[in-house]
Amino acid sequence: MDNKLLDINQIKLKQQLTTQEEVFEQIAAIAVTQGIASDPEEVVVGLQKREQESTTGFQDGFAIPHAQVDAIKRPAIVVVSSKEGIEWNALDRKPATFFIALLVPKREAGTTHIQSLASISRMLIYEEKREVLAHAEDANTVMEELAGAFA
Amino acid sequence: MANVKIVATTGCPTGIAHTFMAEESLKKAAKKLGVEIKVETHGQVGVENELTKQDIAQADGVIVAADKDVYAYRFHGKPTVEVSVAKGIHEAEQLIQTIIDGKAIVYKTKESDAENEDESVSSNNKNNVVHSIYKHLMNGVSHMLPFVVGGGVLIALSFLFGIHSADPDHESYNPIAAMLNDIGSLGFQMMVPILAAFIAESIAKRPGMVVGFIGGLIASNGGAGFLGGIVAGFIGGFIIVLLGKLLEKMPKSLNGLKSIFLYPLIGILLVGVIMTLLVEPMTTINEGMINFLSNFQNANPVLLGLIVGAMSAFDMGGPVNKAAYVTGTALLGEGNFYFMAGVSAACITPPLITAFATVLFKKYFNQAERNAGGVNFILGSTHITEGAIPFAAKNPIIVIPILMVGSSVSAILTYMMNIEVPAPHGGFLVLPVVTGAIQWVIAILIGSLVGAFIYGFHKKRAYLKDQQSKGGGNDGQQIA
Repeated sequence: MDNKLLDINQIKLKQQLTTQEEVFEQIAAIAVTQGIASDPEEVVVGLQKREQESTTGFQDGFAIPHAQVDAIKRPAIVVVSSKEGIEWNALDRKPATFFIALLVPKREAGTTHIQSLASISRMLIYEEKREVLAHAEDANTVMEELAGAFA
Repeated sequence: MANVKIVATTGCPTGIAHTFMAEESLKKAAKKLGVEIKVETHGQVGVENELTKQDIAQADGVIVAADKDVYAYRFHGKPTVEVSVAKGIHEAEQLIQTIIDGKAIVYKTKESDAENEDESVSSNNKNNVVHSIYKHLMNGVSHMLPFVVGGGVLIALSFLFGIHSADPDHESYNPIAAMLNDIGSLGFQMMVPILAAFIAESIAKRPGMVVGFIGGLIASNGGAGFLGGIVAGFIGGFIIVLLGKLLEKMPKSLNGLKSIFLYPLIGILLVGVIMTLLVEPMTTINEGMINFLSNFQNANPVLLGLIVGAMSAFDMGGPVNKAAYVTGTALLGEGNFYFMAGVSAACITPPLITAFATVLFKKYFNQAERNAGGVNFILGSTHITEGAIPFAAKNPIIVIPILMVGSSVSAILTYMMNIEVPAPHGGFLVLPVVTGAIQWVIAILIGSLVGAFIYGFHKKRAYLKDQQSKGGGNDGQQIA
């Protein structure tokens, strides 16, 4: 299956990032390198637009920015974590460090992908899962943990 | 005590993440508290796990955790907790506890936006009111837009057969052009009633729509233009909200009678009387403006341009705009081609302002606005001022003055260059008969660009401001 949602190369941990904009740019850059999206700028704008409607900050430093724009060619998950906390207007007022970006093409007909993405969101409700992710030292751990959500 | 049964519905604008997080959070909390729950999700793929009438009837309480319309009127008469999707995620246990404790308030079909947030920590009251007004306007505008675009382009097409081709008494009469014009005009006639209907629908659901529609028709027929339509929409919506409160005490068994008989009957009557009284002075205003304008016919070009430009862009089809237009056509009959040139320029400018703004400041407009902006190149070029209405109606207090400035610039330049336009309509299609055609186009382009830049910078500022403070308007059209 060539269009899988998650790939080890789509996970970049402990990045040197300081602003929301940098996080979005990093996500967009990964998306373009991995052939998920064609135009990084459009992805950034899409993420910003969604953020504008209401914060995607969740709690304990987790945020799930997402976008649905034309430039995104296939649905995918991009994971970025930052060394420093970044202000994200999260409800618990904690800065965010762990970003799980859900990227969806404008014309996404297949419901299976959306459901897989939704299951990632569901997973974050559970504190023990959040802890595993937050303490993950390498991309493999994150990969395995997230893959568990699809099961 | 028997098992507590709860039904819940969750939804967010994008429908990818929070809808499902709230679902999971509610289920998790329900499990912990030992209650039975069924959660319906309004996500990207549509409604899943839909609540049936039976589910709702059997439930002890309802939780609505949504930032979009999830048809909460279904829960009329049920103890309901209504919150944002974020609270559904973070405070699921408290929400369920509220229902278990029997503290939930019985849901009445009403506009909920202002109410469910008054417990929210971060938001202040004034913002909520502004936000909900914006939301109602948006609902009206997004439903009106296709009528403007479809109708406008058909009318523009009919002009291609000749400016008078739809007039059976004119030598250039063409039956196909007449038909296109008739169909397009019908679309335009629906514009204001639809705007009013869906503003009211946003406030008071289906009963509101009926009342808003009638109010909008009266505004439209009475010559009150789209500003009258906005007023009609809000009046219509609030009439139903008010009726809902007054009829609250009626026995539940008469609910059916309420929605099919009492709401429409009393609502239409009330909105009809109010709107009829309100549009009464429109003719007077219109005549007053014509008289006012006649005093300035020979004023210097700058003053005349300022007045004509401001009037033409003020209500786009309302009494003030019509006063300028009627004066222009009347003077055409007297052989004064000079006055009409400014009126035409001022009427062409507003749609072009929106068109240029959506191209030059693409980033700050959503997809629907960009598409409408593209069409406005056609509508503006053919003197169909109404193309700008969807943009103006979203935020009249800001956008109308911007359009007035742009139109004034176009009109002032037109008068200063002594341009003469002998046709009452048609926009750039009549260029062959215009004296000083090139200068005229330049004047209009300058006015449009001035307006477009002001509008664009306003959108940019609003966008940046929105980005800083969380929340802001959620654009229902963008990603539903």
